[in-house]
Amino acid sequence: MNFASTQFVPSRRMGICEPLPQIGMWSDYKENNYLDTSTPAILEVDSRFDNQQLRRLAQNREAARKCRLRKKAYVQQLENSKLRLMQLEQELERARQQGLYVGGGLDTGQLGYSRTTNPGIATFEMAYGHWVEEQNKKTADLRNALCSDITDLELSSFVDDGMNHYFDLFLMKETAAKADVFYLMSGMWETSAEHFLSWIGGFRPSELLKVLEPHLGPLTEKQSLELSNLKQSCQQAEDALSQGLERLHQILSETVADGLLGEGNYLPQINAALEKLKAMVRFVGQADHLRKETLLQISRNLNNRQAAQGLLALGEYFQRLRVLSSFWTSRPRESS
Amino acid sequence: MHEPILYGNLLLQQKPPTLRNPNLNPNPNNVKGIKENASSLYDFSDLKNMVKDNAVIVFGKKGCCMSHVIKRLLQALGVNPAVYEVDEVDENEVVIELEGIRAGDGKQCSMQFPAVFIGGRWFGGLERIIASHITGELTPLLKQAGALWL
Repeated sequence: MNFASTQFVPSRRMGICEPLPQIGMWSDYKENNYLDTSTPAILEVDSRFDNQQLRRLAQNREAARKCRLRKKAYVQQLENSKLRLMQLEQELERARQQGLYVGGGLDTGQLGYSRTTNPGIATFEMAYGHWVEEQNKKTADLRNALCSDITDLELSSFVDDGMNHYFDLFLMKETAAKADVFYLMSGMWETSAEHFLSWIGGFRPSELLKVLEPHLGPLTEKQSLELSNLKQSCQQAEDALSQGLERLHQILSETVADGLLGEGNYLPQINAALEKLKAMVRFVGQADHLRKETLLQISRNLNNRQAAQGLLALGEYFQRLRVLSSFWTSRPRESS
Repeated sequence: MHEPILYGNLLLQQKPPTLRNPNLNPNPNNVKGIKENASSLYDFSDLKNMVKDNAVIVFGKKGCCMSHVIKRLLQALGVNPAVYEVDEVDENEVVIELEGIRAGDGKQCSMQFPAVFIGGRWFGGLERIIASHITGELTPLLKQAGALWL
């Protein structure tokens, strides 16, 4: 046996610092909770050493072996943690893209917007995350209620609850608009598919009516007429608001470009433009007001069961859009 | 698309219109600084007549996009609303005048721009216009005021 080449490495000289919490402290591995079933190596008798020293050497060898095994286990754990970390980071990125994660770090969004610096927006993001969870729950409950033997009165309370939940969202948005209206307009709070289909910071009411119509069950002639009128009124209101927004667009451009470009001092123009931008908050407010009025009006023309079915269809429609966005985000990228 | 009737154009004789339509700038004291479209033929008390004489009139701040929205919506319904653009400096006086016209309404909320008068009576702002349009109340009201003939 060549003792000189054997490495005795006591644990405290392993040089591994700050192991990740998940895998416990290195000291935990010092407990004899690891494999220890092998028999010690058989020593050749060497007349240079007496029995006591032989025993000590054997014990040392054993300790070293165990230490190596522990080290191996520790490294294995580290590798696993590294993989897990990568997975978590990916999930985080996905959730962040969908705008549902309240950033706790130094990240900025696509537009260079740092969520953590605007408390109003951070609050909204959290509240909206809860709102979506609640919405999914309510949709599921509504589905069960419609399948079950439920009284009309109970159904009407489901309908009221569902409508009020949407109105809650509009209130939340009103507060967020005051914090940063462009956050709402940019759709960073929505999933990508929702944002693609959006109009002035939210769903387009006339589009919604088209989605709902086939799912309301059979309509009376009067109801059909009312719905058709509502669709038209909605469209007209939307067009008027869109045109107003276009005008704001024009005015803003003119205001910023006012006076000579390249002359240096443009502070007055910036200040004037700031005033114009405030109109944006009113536009989002009016758009949400239109959404609310449309929902109210359509519910006035329907009986409880029809309204409940409508709400269910709505809930599921938005759920599908969110799922679509999630699938889109995590689809395998095609190589060029 | 019809252009809304602007009082500035009808009632004042002045230089050819600039890019932005000339404003009616009544000057009750006749001592304020000389403005481009001077010729103060009217003071704000004439607003009362304007409200009475027009089936629909929209008072909005100059360059306001919300009154533009109201204008567009009414035009889509086939109405040709009168539009009065208020200069920033005249805002307060106009508000006082309009609230006077509206007095006796019983309602307490303060006047805001844009403000719509239908059939000589105060109707509301953009929110009320949108809400009443969605519920279907607006059109019969406009017909009643003679703003619509269908």
